[in-house]
Amino acid sequence: MQKVISVNKLVKKYGKNNAVKGVSFDVFKGEIFGLLGENGAGKTTTLEMIEGLRKPTSGTINVLECDIRHKLACVKERVGVQLQSSAYYADLTLQEILELFGSFYQKRLPVKKLLKMVDLENKSKSKIGMLSGGQKQRFSIVASLVNDPEIVFLDEPTTGLDPLARRNLWKIISDIKNQGKTIVLTTHYMEEAELLCDRVAIMEKGEILAIDETHKLIEQIDYPYTINFSVAEIKTDLFQKLMKFGEVRNTLAKKHRFELKIKDQKALNGAVKVINQMEPLTLTVGRATLEDVFIELTGKTIAE
Amino acid sequence: MLKLFIANLKMTTRNRQALFWSFMFPLMFTFIFGMFFGKNSMVGTIGIVNNSGSEIAANYEKILKEANIFKIVEFNEIDEAKKEISKNSLSAFVYIPDSFGTMLTQADNTLVVYYDQGNAQIGSVLENFSDKFLSQSNMAISKAQEVFKLRTEKTSSKDLTYFDFVLAGILGLALMNSSIHGIAVGMSKYREDKILKRITTTPIKSWQFVGAEVLSRLVLNFLQIALILVIGVYAFDAHIYGNIAIIFAVSLVGALLFQLIGFVIASFSKTTSAAEGMATAITIPMMFLAGVFFPIDSLPSWLYSVVQYLPLAPLLRIIRGVTLEGTSPFSDLNYVLIVFAWIAASLAISIYRFRLSEE
Repeated sequence: MQKVISVNKLVKKYGKNNAVKGVSFDVFKGEIFGLLGENGAGKTTTLEMIEGLRKPTSGTINVLECDIRHKLACVKERVGVQLQSSAYYADLTLQEILELFGSFYQKRLPVKKLLKMVDLENKSKSKIGMLSGGQKQRFSIVASLVNDPEIVFLDEPTTGLDPLARRNLWKIISDIKNQGKTIVLTTHYMEEAELLCDRVAIMEKGEILAIDETHKLIEQIDYPYTINFSVAEIKTDLFQKLMKFGEVRNTLAKKHRFELKIKDQKALNGAVKVINQMEPLTLTVGRATLEDVFIELTGKTIAE
Repeated sequence: MLKLFIANLKMTTRNRQALFWSFMFPLMFTFIFGMFFGKNSMVGTIGIVNNSGSEIAANYEKILKEANIFKIVEFNEIDEAKKEISKNSLSAFVYIPDSFGTMLTQADNTLVVYYDQGNAQIGSVLENFSDKFLSQSNMAISKAQEVFKLRTEKTSSKDLTYFDFVLAGILGLALMNSSIHGIAVGMSKYREDKILKRITTTPIKSWQFVGAEVLSRLVLNFLQIALILVIGVYAFDAHIYGNIAIIFAVSLVGALLFQLIGFVIASFSKTTSAAEGMATAITIPMMFLAGVFFPIDSLPSWLYSVVQYLPLAPLLRIIRGVTLEGTSPFSDLNYVLIVFAWIAASLAISIYRFRLSEE
């Protein structure tokens, strides 16, 4: 696989505070690579160093085989950047903004095609202030595509959007991937990373805790299966039996609902048998999620 | 860069607030001062109560009207005129008794000037005018020879008014306000909205971005200068003796200086409202202290020794030299030196401090 980004021992210090503590990773052509972590984990700082917006304290970054310390201008021609909560000129129309930003590049896509990509053709004469939150975010993504970039950087692209608008944006991001572009995104939404990213790096306090293909990260964890069930009445003897297969926990704030984490297939079968004896009202068996991976790695949940 | 330049022009014409400060604000001053001190502007409104039918009374009234110093309202009764003074619609009036100038032995030959203490200036102009008329009449009647004479001469051979002086001041004021506020607030807003950061992710160079911004604002300044001069000259008869091209060139150099000060503010202010505050804190004192409305020479000497170095002060002197006297902008090199020292200093600080990116 062709490496399009190569980050090596990247460090960023602000005074005594180490925002990024020597991270290294590669991004391959055509994949969606996610930097996942809490607010303040160092995702945006890392991303902005790759984009050339911040100067690394030490370490090297190669983008499209160019060392960005020396060839940043050449890299800028070939990448697209969407910033966290960035605004655009309030007094220009969407069409004018895209034409203006297009004029900064040697290579540029037709404005009509861009607006069509994010379903905003009928808003071409509108100003940014007239758009909804979801439309603004779609516009800021498409504004990062004006130069038909090889790599697109998206910083928290769905933060603050309602569920429907988020799904809409996921579709757009996967469409961009299908055009053969590489996407690097940051997010603190676990399900977003799980759904979109081919590979993720989980960041915590400026370090990468784990990095792999998303499904492999989930498979590798200690308890890859989860059983959720509810009962009308708690039978103590059967519960004791069940605990041999894994940890049984009361689901938050619900008295008769339980969650059981399971290590392997054999334990799963055994546990299901016991639960069936309890005459459960509901029973679902699921795979662990990226959130479980995160909790296992960091010992906490992500606070939104 | 051309596209950015055009986009900047578009944005300015669409931004009502920017347009107000660039055009309406200076024009407001032009109109206000033009109406007070421009063409046909009169000192104030006075009244006349002429009860005499004599030739000398009629002559006095005629000369007063022809002098075109006051707007004159006629009254039949003293009380009517007094009432108008108390309503503030009249500043003073002159009363001519019915026997005035009739040459009867018991005739009352006294003109009476009534004036409002709140408008003593107008009263004294009317008093002087009447006094002069009466002395000349006295001399004519007594056939006396005039021995001592008074002659006044203007130091400039040109016909100049206070409005001409103020118009050049308004020009400087307009350039200062729109450039300092425009750049300081505009750039801070761009930074706050992360537009500057977004720009740095593109291949466009910082100097290209700044250049497009500066050039588009200079176009705006050009229109400002043209509008102020056209209205001053055609609506209020302002006198301009200098070369128009030189006036524009000097003004645009001034605009550039103020834009640089705007960049200095933008590089120190963290938020848009801070930039607004800093810009106001710089422009308002300069508006009153640098000689926009009155010559700074009349300030106390300790204050003068400081304010003469404010950026607007030497610039206004150069502009006035060109517009009022038609002299060369380089006729006093000290002023040129101060202006360029400010340009060099603010340019150096801007280059050192102003960044599009946050790092």
